[in-house]
Amino acid sequence: MPRVRMRQHLIELVLFSTYAELRAEAARSYLGLLWWVLEPALMMGAFYLVFDVILKSGGPDYLPFLLIGLTVWQWMKSCITHGGYAIWTNLPMVRQVHLPPHVFPLIAMLSDTVKFFFIFALLLVILWCAGYPPNVAYLALPIVFAVTFLAAAGAGFVVAALVPLVPDMRFVIEQVLTVVMFLSGVVFALDKVPPPLSTIMALNPVAVLMEATRGILMYGHWPNWVGLSKVTAIALVACWLGAMFVSRLAPRYPKLAT
Amino acid sequence: MSDEILIELNNVGVAFSAQRRMSGGHFWALEDVSLQLRRGDRLGVIGRNGAGKSTLLRTIAGILAPDRGTIRRAPVSCQLLSLALGFVPHLSGRDNAVLSGLLLGLRRREIMTRLDAIREFSELGDFFEQPIAAYSAGMTMRLAFSVAIQVEPDVLLIDEVLAVGDAEFQEKSGAALRARMGEGHTVVLVSHNESQIASLCNRVIWIEHGKSVLEADRDTVFAAYHRDMHPVVNAA
Repeated sequence: MPRVRMRQHLIELVLFSTYAELRAEAARSYLGLLWWVLEPALMMGAFYLVFDVILKSGGPDYLPFLLIGLTVWQWMKSCITHGGYAIWTNLPMVRQVHLPPHVFPLIAMLSDTVKFFFIFALLLVILWCAGYPPNVAYLALPIVFAVTFLAAAGAGFVVAALVPLVPDMRFVIEQVLTVVMFLSGVVFALDKVPPPLSTIMALNPVAVLMEATRGILMYGHWPNWVGLSKVTAIALVACWLGAMFVSRLAPRYPKLAT
Repeated sequence: MSDEILIELNNVGVAFSAQRRMSGGHFWALEDVSLQLRRGDRLGVIGRNGAGKSTLLRTIAGILAPDRGTIRRAPVSCQLLSLALGFVPHLSGRDNAVLSGLLLGLRRREIMTRLDAIREFSELGDFFEQPIAAYSAGMTMRLAFSVAIQVEPDVLLIDEVLAVGDAEFQEKSGAALRARMGEGHTVVLVSHNESQIASLCNRVIWIEHGKSVLEADRDTVFAAYHRDMHPVVNAA
């Protein structure tokens, strides 16, 4: 098949599979689509209860701070885990059809991204009601989201390449991601951490993305472009590495047991 | 039949790891197979259980890469006929037909123009719009076959799926496949059923313990294969 035709075919396959995955997921439970929003809402409620109501560790802006952090983090995390396990869970198909394995993580990450946009729409409504109106810095959101997706996709591809070979990794990844969440200022502000440690922690790409999104949505601040550029560079390197790993290891996947 | 070689295997071997361990051994599912597939060939693959027939088919399909030897292929599409590939229980027959067709290498608009034919052939009627979770096993196989038969690669690879469903549909699906093979397509067929290969193929390759013993016209290979089989039959 000519290269262009093959690429168009793969794009069609990825888009339709993404639609199919979302549709099937909505059909699997009684409340269907509603769970895409309800599940994160319940989790946010739980965090709010623990960190603000019980521990009283929040401040005046804690509710929007937490909601934004968790919304963005859940998107990244689901891209990394779902995308990361996608080749492994699709090994039965890898054994039957000759396809670039990259399509499987991509499908998982795209459907998680569609779900994120539903949740994000709800988040915007909450923020506007809570006194954080739309502002001109919203114009930077597409850029921040593009970088966020690239960063998550990079990590997701690296994980996706390795999990089929070492399925044991799955037991560690969830724990690592929980640690990353707490180190990235998702649930509490990094300025509560003493100085030498907080400067190191602020280098974390996830922390930069959190701060950029919150700055826009809560205060109308433009993102720190230098920081964002560095994160973009890291994310692109991770994407390239992950895609290369998948390509290199592709001949081994059809021979692996699930 | 032309002399144009579409796919050529030279001393191809494919190894699998014996187990998931740091220092697992290998076993060679294919050890040394050579064959030439020309345009218009209907090549049958025969051999005992575990001889490596299915591995050979997946190697020709490009799913498995050889660990030794070489494969040369002309720029042709090559598709293993897999039934129910990518089927999702909660999606309608229609959506599954599109999904499976895409996975089998069809373009979206090609599938769209064939959806009526798929619906017709599968005899599903209004069930075509229902989630396939509500289907019986027979209905699912009918849908699966109806999609698969729409795929028209340059080289069609078939592994023992010549007829599915109840007796009536078996006849229909078998006839459709035989018709497809008679249209001058290039086909590689793996089957335990010797008479099937005898009636459908013009060339045969005989595989034994992962090695190609003989590849020639149908009658030559069957004669040699039976000479080899008979002492075993007599001893038993």
